[in-house]
Amino acid sequence: MSFGARFLRQPERFSERPAGEPWGERELALELPGGPYRVLGLSAAQEAGVRATFPGSLLPAAGAPAAGAPAAPATAAAGAPVTCRLLRCTAGDFLPVDVRGWEYGLDFDWSPAAVRLAGLGLAARLDWRLGGAELGGVELSGALWTPEDGGARFPGVFENFLRVLVSYRLLELGGAVLHSAGVVRHGAAFLFLGRSGAGKTTVARFSQAQGAEVLSDDLNALLPHAAGCAVLKLPFTGDLGERRAARLPVPLGALLRLEQDSVDALAPLSRAEALACLLACAPFVNVDPYRRDRLEHVLFALAAAAAPRAFTLRFSLGGGFWSILDEK
Amino acid sequence: MSQIRVGSVLRRRADVRFRVIDEEGVVVRQGAGEVLVLNEVATRILTLADGAASIARWIDALLGEFDVDRGQLTADVLAFAAELVEQGLLEPAAAERAPALRRAGTAGGGG
Repeated sequence: MSFGARFLRQPERFSERPAGEPWGERELALELPGGPYRVLGLSAAQEAGVRATFPGSLLPAAGAPAAGAPAAPATAAAGAPVTCRLLRCTAGDFLPVDVRGWEYGLDFDWSPAAVRLAGLGLAARLDWRLGGAELGGVELSGALWTPEDGGARFPGVFENFLRVLVSYRLLELGGAVLHSAGVVRHGAAFLFLGRSGAGKTTVARFSQAQGAEVLSDDLNALLPHAAGCAVLKLPFTGDLGERRAARLPVPLGALLRLEQDSVDALAPLSRAEALACLLACAPFVNVDPYRRDRLEHVLFALAAAAAPRAFTLRFSLGGGFWSILDEK
Repeated sequence: MSQIRVGSVLRRRADVRFRVIDEEGVVVRQGAGEVLVLNEVATRILTLADGAASIARWIDALLGEFDVDRGQLTADVLAFAAELVEQGLLEPAAAERAPALRRAGTAGGGG
């Protein structure tokens, strides 16, 4: 099936440029890994929706950290804001989709300087243009067309777009968004990696029951850090994780590939296995044929840095795996 | 699917990414979003699948590296190559060529 055909009535008319009619004149700045992200063209209802969904990530317009947001995020190297625009389209631009019993996935179309995506109530593009301080740099920007003017569905539409934008932004910065459960225990972050059904939420629940802090049981960010690697909280959660609160980066305690078993055991991961695990768990960007070299380069560096602390964790439903991890 | 023989020439498919780290191979099937880690022998075989050397050449190379009987190695390599083709990691590099036909009236190479 061709790009957008599942969602868009006329995918062939997908905009070639990140331009159109904005929803309004409201503007917000979000402090997320790789940011700040400057969101333009919001209506009042959309602004309210973003504020309610990501309260821990809001920055005042001047750029100073908001109350509760980290004062010095590890993403400061990001520099200039990543701009994204909210643009109007109509519900009639989208096909009706019967979502019963259906696993939702976005449609992607890639090219060297852009990525297009389509989904439920969502048509968007990411563009890379020459720019930046020395004009030798490349600036990433995003545009989101949606018929949702606030309301119950808008936060989900915006978050789906934001997940992709942040994933690509972190790839530029040498980091990765990873399908994982992120847990902080004794000042170190543990990333439990696995695709849907691997047991991320299960181990997050066990961890929470033992007093650990769950960052997210769905997506977390891993970036290079003076201490090797650091885990950054993302406001993209599944069943567990507090999306409203911001958090400073946490040094990586261990990278753990999940395998369900009848016993709890830990086995070291080779660098190749660690790289393979990271590749499999890097959503959106790991199917982009134009950014393969960059992704492998970034993930190889992260895998090499994390290798001494990378393991396969075989875990049982007894929840005793933390006693093994604590010994390490 | 064509039968895999010792004369077959195979190559990695265009959508397959392959790199070797510490003698282990990491294979990414881009289209399927699938990632595999191969052991040392499988990594060596995928390295040999360069689209130029026949499987017979792979076997010659492997005989110099591993202490194994040629007959057993040939059977194992052919089976593994067929499996890699079936899994979409390898494909035939080119159709096996039929012997060139001589044009009528040019017997003896005088034409």
